[in-house]
Amino acid sequence: MGVFAVRTEGLSKHYGAVHALHGLNLEVSQGEVVGYLGPNGAGKTTTIRLLLGLIRPTAGRAEIFGLDCERQLVDAHRHLAYVAGEASLWPSLTGAETLHLLARVQARRDDAYRDELISRFDLDPSKKVRAYSKGNRQKLILIAALMTRPALLLLDEPTSGLDPLMEQAFRLCVHEARERGQTVFLSSHILSEVEALCDRVGILRQGLLVEMGTLAEMRHLSALSVEATFAGEVPDLSRVPGVASLEVAGHVARCQVRGSIEPLLKVLAVAGVTELLSREPSLEELFLALYGAVDAGGAASDSALDHAG
Amino acid sequence: MQAELALGGVAAKDRSAATLIARQTARRAVRSGAVWGYVFGAYLATQALAYASSYKTPASRARLAAEFGANAGISALVGPARDIQTVAGFTVWKCLAVLAVVGAVWGLLLGTKALRGEEDAGRWELLLAGQTTPRAAAGQALAGLGCGVVVLFSLTAVITVVVGHSSKVSIGPGGAIFLALAVVAAAAMFLAVGAFASQLAATRHQASAYAGGFLAVAYALRMVADSGTGLGWLRWASPLGWVEELHPLTGASPLALLPMVGLISVLSYFTLRLAGRRDLRASTFADRASAVPRTRLLSGPTGLNLRLARPGLTAWGVGIAAYGLVLGLVAKSAGSAISGSSSLTRAFSRLGAVGAEAYLAVAFLLMAILVSFVGAGQLSATRSEEAEGRLDNLLVRPVSRSRWYAGRLLVASAALIAGGLIAGIFAWLGAASQHSGVDFSSVLEAGLNVVPPGLCILGIGALVFGVAPRATTMATYGLLVWSFLVELVGSVVGLNHFVLDTSVFHQMAAAPAVAPDWVTGGALVGLGAAAALAGGVALRLRDLKSE
Repeated sequence: MGVFAVRTEGLSKHYGAVHALHGLNLEVSQGEVVGYLGPNGAGKTTTIRLLLGLIRPTAGRAEIFGLDCERQLVDAHRHLAYVAGEASLWPSLTGAETLHLLARVQARRDDAYRDELISRFDLDPSKKVRAYSKGNRQKLILIAALMTRPALLLLDEPTSGLDPLMEQAFRLCVHEARERGQTVFLSSHILSEVEALCDRVGILRQGLLVEMGTLAEMRHLSALSVEATFAGEVPDLSRVPGVASLEVAGHVARCQVRGSIEPLLKVLAVAGVTELLSREPSLEELFLALYGAVDAGGAASDSALDHAG
Repeated sequence: MQAELALGGVAAKDRSAATLIARQTARRAVRSGAVWGYVFGAYLATQALAYASSYKTPASRARLAAEFGANAGISALVGPARDIQTVAGFTVWKCLAVLAVVGAVWGLLLGTKALRGEEDAGRWELLLAGQTTPRAAAGQALAGLGCGVVVLFSLTAVITVVVGHSSKVSIGPGGAIFLALAVVAAAAMFLAVGAFASQLAATRHQASAYAGGFLAVAYALRMVADSGTGLGWLRWASPLGWVEELHPLTGASPLALLPMVGLISVLSYFTLRLAGRRDLRASTFADRASAVPRTRLLSGPTGLNLRLARPGLTAWGVGIAAYGLVLGLVAKSAGSAISGSSSLTRAFSRLGAVGAEAYLAVAFLLMAILVSFVGAGQLSATRSEEAEGRLDNLLVRPVSRSRWYAGRLLVASAALIAGGLIAGIFAWLGAASQHSGVDFSSVLEAGLNVVPPGLCILGIGALVFGVAPRATTMATYGLLVWSFLVELVGSVVGLNHFVLDTSVFHQMAAAPAVAPDWVTGGALVGLGAAAALAGGVALRLRDLKSE
């Protein structure tokens, strides 16, 4: 197996008694697109700033393509580009000047690709940064990151302030990056974006990684949604093992099924079902199921924390 | 009962929210006003006391008056000399024009910071989302700034009254208070100018440039009026001329307060009106939002730093050149006046010089302070890059913290050295034009002699930046003002040598009266370099910190 694009071992950042990130063990393979989720203050930005060497870890270590994020930081930075959730740029420079500077600093230029990105994101580079709206400033740092075609893209809520059209343009760029074999580490609040783009998803809570896996692997966190339409009376499904949140309206029954669906199918097979719809949980449902369960202080909390440990 | 209490709580919160901007602005303005109040007071006090002890006899005072009273060039630069054979007259002549300009710069920078800087930084937006309107918010900011002026005036007045009480100085409390009023009047007017310019311009930088331009015009008009060309009436066309027309301690004429109050009122009215009419982050004058790319310097962090610092450094360079020229122009007359004072002659002959060189030696202390401000300003800008998150754009690319930090210090150090050279060259040009007989190399050396204290302050400030970044600006300017005050007060009152040694300016040789002490200068540079190095190590180890 080749070198991991991102690898952390027991990475921790404490601010006094506050554990912003605790014992993070993470491996992102080259060419993977990984989503990084969590509510505000969960430690997503802290993770990315630790990977970038902008803040120092309290314990543990991190590597980018096998290069230590503290001792070989500059070398590691040759392989990556970063997009922050809020663009803080030099107000007196124009967009074109900013892109020129950042390309020179990265020591990698592809003017044709830069111009293509400017056109795709519909940015006027002759304007001064101070005259840009928040969305346009965000486009500028996105272009600055994408134009160097780095091996690793570290994106921290990169589409904040972008309109839906520009968000589509961004998704297209990430798809192209994946096709080129670039690795993408995407922290986002837009769950549909993560669901559409990412191969694997990590979920953080209070500085701990509570879930990490593909969406398929994470389905166990939530239930399957089932909707059955009957020819006649709806039978009593409330006692079927695994069935919850049962709602009956006329000849239609809707419910959630945890665990095996087999007991329900046995009941439905003899009850004269005319139509059966089932749907896997969306990432949003997974996310809410995980956080709902954790916040309720139920058993899921312990299992989730055990998983992270 | 509980409901009443709750409502009472809400009402109290409403009142508190309604004055939030005023209180926030006042907090900063009062802090700054207090520092500069001490500086103004100390400057007035030391000039009065120094004159009283240096020119003890009527003959020496008459000679001084004869030397300066009829000098049109000096009159144009700092105003006409009235009654300078008296302590009061000399103090006014020596301090009023200088402190008026310093106060005007203070006022315009504070005004644009409160009314445009906050808007640039995006904080104004948050405040306007609260229970206020743009107009009311501007009104609150003006009220907060007013508190700063009151503190500046109060401290200046208290120190002047106390010193005036001394038998050597003998200035009555009424006269002292009126003098303090005249000294801070320009600060108040230019606060209003800064606030008004903030409504016209699109950025704080632009607003400061507009207000600075207005100050330059006001100074030029006053200069022409005082140049003895029969255009004295022009004084009434310049706010700095009005300050002069107050004639504190030399036939006080409060009539000139009227145009001042009028200017402040009119500018405040239009500030509120424009603030209420324009959009947030919009300007009254059209802003040049687009520009042709100029990428010559934009090849790396140091080039970027040069590009960003260029307008500010150019302005400082022009200021230092102008001040150097003024010093050179007056050096001959001032040197002759020193020769008229037996005590000063004795003091300077111990240094090994009299005349123009002796005067320049004293004047270059102020030059050292001016040049040191350039370095402190660069360090403050360095911290802003980190605090406002712009530095992240560089450090997430293949740029090490050390490279960026070294580049910043390199530009700041080069600016200090350039400042010293400009000071020396222009002081010599001024002196040579008056046939002062001052040697070029000795004045150039005197210019370079002001660099080591500046480098030392820069290095110590850089150490603070490395260890405790949020304290950078306060610590750097604090060290600078402390060193200045110790040196100023120490020149009049006998201070303990331990206290005197805490001033970096005290270590500076009195060049060009004596040859610069390059060993001590080297030690100052070495101390600054060691501190900067330690700061660099600390920076590598710490987290980046926002505001």
